[in-house]
Amino acid sequence: MTRASINTSLKGWAGWAALLFVIVGLLAVGGTRDRGPLDPSDRVDEISRHVACPVCDGESVFESRNPASEAIRAQIRSAVAEGAATDDEILAAVADAYGARVLLVPRSSGFDSLIWVLPATAAVMGIAALSVTFRRWRREAASGLRATPDDYAAVDRARREREANSDG
Amino acid sequence: MSAALGNAGLLVALIGASVGALSTAMSIIGDNRRALRQAPMYAAVILFGALLAVVAMEWALFARDYSIDFVQRVGSSSTPGLYNLAAMWSALEGSILLWVMVLALFTAAVALRFRRRSDDALVGWALVVMYGVMTFFALVSFGPASPFAPGPTVPVGFDGPGPNPLLQNHVLVLFHPPILYLGYVGFTVPFAFAIAALITGRVGEGWLLETRRWALFAWGFLTVGILLGGWWSYEVLGWSGVWAWDPVENASLLPWLTSTAYIHSVLVQQRRGMLRVWNLSLLVATFALTILGTFLTRSGVVNSVHAFAAGEVDGYLLGFFAIVVLVSLGLIGWRGDMLRAPGRIDSPVSREGAFLANNVIFTLFAFIVLLGTVFPLLVEVFQDRQTVVGAPYFDRLSMPIGIVLLFLMAVAPVLPWRTTSTETLRVRLFWPAWLGAAALGIAVVAGADGFAPLVAFTCGGFAAGSALRQLALATRRQGVAGLVGRANGGMLVHLGVIIIAVALASSNSYTHSATLTARIGETVSWSGHTFEFVGVTSTIDARAEVVSAEVVLDGGKSYAPAVTTYLRQGMTVPTPSVRTGVTHDVYLTIDGNDPPTKDASEVVLRVFLKPLILWLWIGGAVMAIGTVLSAVPSRRHRRATAPTSEDLGVERG
Repeated sequence: MTRASINTSLKGWAGWAALLFVIVGLLAVGGTRDRGPLDPSDRVDEISRHVACPVCDGESVFESRNPASEAIRAQIRSAVAEGAATDDEILAAVADAYGARVLLVPRSSGFDSLIWVLPATAAVMGIAALSVTFRRWRREAASGLRATPDDYAAVDRARREREANSDG
Repeated sequence: MSAALGNAGLLVALIGASVGALSTAMSIIGDNRRALRQAPMYAAVILFGALLAVVAMEWALFARDYSIDFVQRVGSSSTPGLYNLAAMWSALEGSILLWVMVLALFTAAVALRFRRRSDDALVGWALVVMYGVMTFFALVSFGPASPFAPGPTVPVGFDGPGPNPLLQNHVLVLFHPPILYLGYVGFTVPFAFAIAALITGRVGEGWLLETRRWALFAWGFLTVGILLGGWWSYEVLGWSGVWAWDPVENASLLPWLTSTAYIHSVLVQQRRGMLRVWNLSLLVATFALTILGTFLTRSGVVNSVHAFAAGEVDGYLLGFFAIVVLVSLGLIGWRGDMLRAPGRIDSPVSREGAFLANNVIFTLFAFIVLLGTVFPLLVEVFQDRQTVVGAPYFDRLSMPIGIVLLFLMAVAPVLPWRTTSTETLRVRLFWPAWLGAAALGIAVVAGADGFAPLVAFTCGGFAAGSALRQLALATRRQGVAGLVGRANGGMLVHLGVIIIAVALASSNSYTHSATLTARIGETVSWSGHTFEFVGVTSTIDARAEVVSAEVVLDGGKSYAPAVTTYLRQGMTVPTPSVRTGVTHDVYLTIDGNDPPTKDASEVVLRVFLKPLILWLWIGGAVMAIGTVLSAVPSRRHRRATAPTSEDLGVERG
């Protein structure tokens, strides 16, 4: 077998099946060993990213050094140290203490759900618009939209004009 | 003295721009070619006025001319020279002046570039639009946001506070805003030509070819400006991040997203003559979003860490935004029938099909960023309560979008125009796909976990494979020349984007942090590193007190994270100290708000291990180089060929 033919046969279905096998295997190994946060401090960081500093402009508790953020961070830290609650429960406790407006991820109910519904709707509409357009184009291609005699006449006229110009 | 000079400069720019816009428009309408040939001269007048105003402003800042209100607010005798230079753009009025200056430069560049063609109506109308935009900004700067307004009388010996401490803490403040503005303002040029094309009815591909490099130039500067902002955030703010989805950051990302869509879909129009309305809309959106972004972030309607000054210019900016959108949409509607292009895209699995998909995703991305940014406003209007939409929301939605974009970046470059076969794809994508598998393998061996980041690494490797394949083929054929030109330079830009995407995915997913407390002289080990706490030092001058904690990292070099207390503002700013490495950075910062005292026996440090941060900046450099290379004409495209929809001289209808 020549080098070229080895190359070609590699790129056949067998090569792709092997590739798929490797990728699925590696993803299964890596994807299932999700350890989550390495230690309590990382978990505090992760939760505090979801809470807005109640007094400063547009910073999360994780970023902010304001005393108010410091207090929330302490609350989260002690909840994490106790170890009983889930992240969502800790966030709910913070929201109870400071009001829902400190949550940086809008809830998925009521008016706030729009922030999730609208992007999803936009995505569906985008895909739908694309597929409708392509279907129309395919139909046009199938219907064999041919140039009309007028079109041929226009091209002839243009060609004659062009030749006339280049002669002169 | 400087106030008078500055006001005079702005007035010259304002008069030059408004008279220029009116007289140029009238000369075109009246077909007065002789007058039209003078049109570029107004750009020189504007540039002179803007330069005069900027020089006057800097003069006032350096002379500490406290008769001027702006200097009272941002000037100080203790500000070091470089930061004093940058003080001009540390508050609203000066930022608008910087905008005026950059716009004057672009206007002059356009006038110079097209000086021999100013009797061409397309160029004429483009100049009218540039002068019109200039009139608006000069008006705002001369009127409501005047940087030269007189301040209240101050006692002898008065000294101002200086710029916001965050803006006198790192040398990047000299570069990040002007470069970002070169990007923002640069889009005025393609926008002006787009409007001119609509007005003259020459909506074929001519205007696209004229402005391709201008758009690329603006896009490159916007990219570099955004990345420098991330770098500044990392080095200055002390929370170890590069991007916080803050409204001002989003305001710069929005035009970047629409312009990225534009520089891709414009290729379809150049090649196939299609998507005319769409490309015009993307350009209009890009320009309008720069105005809207400035409004959102400078008016104080959304809270932002960048809102260094809220001003009186909301109404002006919002009005201008409305005019831009209405006039553009009106023109597009008016020329609707001319914009309808013949032709169709034969298959979704083709180069142009991929560009369409790219556009849908970028537009969706822009929509999400815009929605998240203005959502607090909507909630306030409809429900009268306060909400914030923060990084976790944007992170959650941008991760899948990023992965789809990486996948598209892998497949699109190998797709031929018009249509393709499964066999072509199978052969061309084989090695790129294996590179994706290899990237995944390396990540798994390195200990990476979690489904989403692993998929991102796989797609990143896959996309890098496609880009490298294209570059390898081009350089094999043409040698080094295979690196230049639109397609090949573009592949280099893709490589930069991929490097950044991988770096972001891993630093977002695998940052590891701890709070370390130790006595002076003690050594603490954590996560494979040792930290020896050497001592606390303090220096004080008229401007600020700096308390820094010296830490020897891994028994080698010492690092000194600090807390700076700016005495005039009474504000403390942390200064992190970072050991940069190929695999990860060690990011040290002093914990809490109160700096340790000089004789403290104990120091509390926040330590972050951030993987692959260095690669963000390397990726940025690769993107910049790729952008420059793609602006150089390639051998294949060097001879100008007529665009597909060039007017053949056939009468319409």
